Amino acid sequence: MAMRFTAALALLTLLLGPGPAWAEDEILPDWLHISGWAETMQSLRVSEPHDQVTSRAKLRLEAEAEMDWLYAFASADAEKNWIIDTETEIELHELWLEHAGDGWDARVGRQIIIWGKADGVQVTDLISPPDYTESMTRDLDEIRMPVDALKLRRLGKWFDTELIVIPVFKAAVLPEGDNPWAVGQSVPNSVRISQDDADEPAASLENSEVALKVSAYLPGVDVAASVFHTWDDTAAMHRTAWMDGGTLHVDYTPRHHRLTVLGLECSRPWSDFVFRGEAAYTFGQYRETDSVFEDPRPKDGLKWLAGLDWTPGDDWTVTGQFVGAHILDHAPDLAEAAFSPLATLNISKKLLNQTLTLSNMLYADLDDGEIFDRVKADYEIRDGFHVLAGADLFLGDNGQFGRYEDNSQVWIKLKYSF
Amino acid sequence: MNMRNPVRWLYLAVFCLLTVPALAQEPDDREPDGREIMTQAYNRADGQDRTSTMTMTLINKRGSERVRKVESWSKDYGPDRKSVMVFDEPADVRGTAYLSWDYAEIGKDDDKWLYMPAMKKVRRISGSSRNEYFMGTDFTYDDMGKRAVAKDTHTLAGSETVHGHDCWKVESVPVDPEDLYTRRVVWVSKTALMTLKAEYYDKDGLVKVYNALDFKEQDGFWTLLRSEMDNVSREHKTVMEVASIRYDAGLEDGMFQVSAIERGRVR
Repeated sequence: MAMRFTAALALLTLLLGPGPAWAEDEILPDWLHISGWAETMQSLRVSEPHDQVTSRAKLRLEAEAEMDWLYAFASADAEKNWIIDTETEIELHELWLEHAGDGWDARVGRQIIIWGKADGVQVTDLISPPDYTESMTRDLDEIRMPVDALKLRRLGKWFDTELIVIPVFKAAVLPEGDNPWAVGQSVPNSVRISQDDADEPAASLENSEVALKVSAYLPGVDVAASVFHTWDDTAAMHRTAWMDGGTLHVDYTPRHHRLTVLGLECSRPWSDFVFRGEAAYTFGQYRETDSVFEDPRPKDGLKWLAGLDWTPGDDWTVTGQFVGAHILDHAPDLAEAAFSPLATLNISKKLLNQTLTLSNMLYADLDDGEIFDRVKADYEIRDGFHVLAGADLFLGDNGQFGRYEDNSQVWIKLKYSF
Repeated sequence: MNMRNPVRWLYLAVFCLLTVPALAQEPDDREPDGREIMTQAYNRADGQDRTSTMTMTLINKRGSERVRKVESWSKDYGPDRKSVMVFDEPADVRGTAYLSWDYAEIGKDDDKWLYMPAMKKVRRISGSSRNEYFMGTDFTYDDMGKRAVAKDTHTLAGSETVHGHDCWKVESVPVDPEDLYTRRVVWVSKTALMTLKAEYYDKDGLVKVYNALDFKEQDGFWTLLRSEMDNVSREHKTVMEVASIRYDAGLEDGMFQVSAIERGRVR
């Protein structure tokens, strides 16, 4: 670990120095700007054997070109991950062009699109699919994957209309293999499992995902309504199961299905508070059953969120959210409960002329009584250079947080932005 | 006097016409009261719209410096003002944009939105955070903009010379007892109608001192170029320099919409 940390620190020190000249626009023309960040995160498991759960260093470069009528943006990542080999890579992150006209704009290319009023929870935010590879330890913008899309907006005084077309499907990425965040399931010797590759929709106009959203930003209230005709980012695990002697055979055929999601969003400030609300009604999403002999079945679902932000002053911020997920016309053999409640609470305080931020973000699964708690201290040593230390604590049995209980970790992170 | 003579009536009428306006002007010669001075300062002409770049240097008691750089645009809509600030430095907050619709009407909360590049979305923020410090500087959001005159009771405390300029000295006590400060003493230039010095007090005494270090008349408007806020209570000060100032550039209304900051840049 010491070597990894030293290597990562050396990288940061190189970058820190007096600051890259090209990043300070000393060499580049006025219309071109290059920026980015470098970070390293190292952790230790809280429980035995106290080994590393997270160990990585990452460099993000961003280039912006601003011409009279066109704006171009590109970003790329280079990562070395000592725990998850597949994450060690150099990849293009975003690449898009934008033109802003009089009362409209258009953005085309690989881009991240985030919707909704929720904080750290997905309700209507379904445009950019998630990458769960290391999602528990990543910042939000790293969890969302960019999509190849065309985004058109008609911008009015009170209403904006947004049309998004995504001709190329991209599935959610789940942790697998030796990834410590992969959920392992022990299979008895009497069970034989095989799985086909996921049947993903081909890139075509017919298979395109289309989203339409109308937003209004008015004095005292924001509201938005949307419809998203998409594909389920997570494949439904269709299966064929049969008994052969004393052995159970199960063949899984993962398939992505069409989904239509209606969304509503609102937020309203009042005094020191902002009230937020969001809801998504999903038609016919395939839901997992708890029997290997039963295929997933389509059921409508309703997910909603009520949130409250409180800024009482003196650099305190308190954010609370309650999320409810309902499966309508629920059947007893479905794996998920008819109603799944989740609560989040984030408290943060800035100190030392806002150079030190202490925060605690808590997720509580109210159905299973499980908790994910991230406590964090973020200190800005100098402009753009942060040292962070914290702990990710998982409590519970085998639910969405408890399954990671052995991954509870204390960590340190260095981040330099230029 | 024999008033039956029409010529004398004419003399009297002419006398009245000449003297009444003079009498009517007499109140203008009196010293304005505290509220009138602060109202004049609030209404000081600064064009219909304005653009600038602000560089704020934060200096702690050890002398180490941090720099915040912000591009700013604002436009008046009657008594209300819409403004956008986009943070350029430090690098970790670059591209963060703050949109504010400030209302003159007392009791009406301002509308505010924040775009954070890392989150790639805009979120509403509460309208009553004007007493928060701006980006770790010694200026609160209130100090950065215009404070409504009706938020304080103002008393004229005399005239003094500050930085070589003849100023009114006004003591302002917040109407809201929960305000960050218990009182402010401000020195307003009689010619520029600009605050050249201010002292901020809380229940424990002097908190911070503001000084306008450099200002000039540009395009017919008095323009602040350099100022300093010395927070004596936490031994920290901020020097603010304003550059690239333009007035009445005809900024488009679209710049002051959420859709503009949602783009991640304002042009």
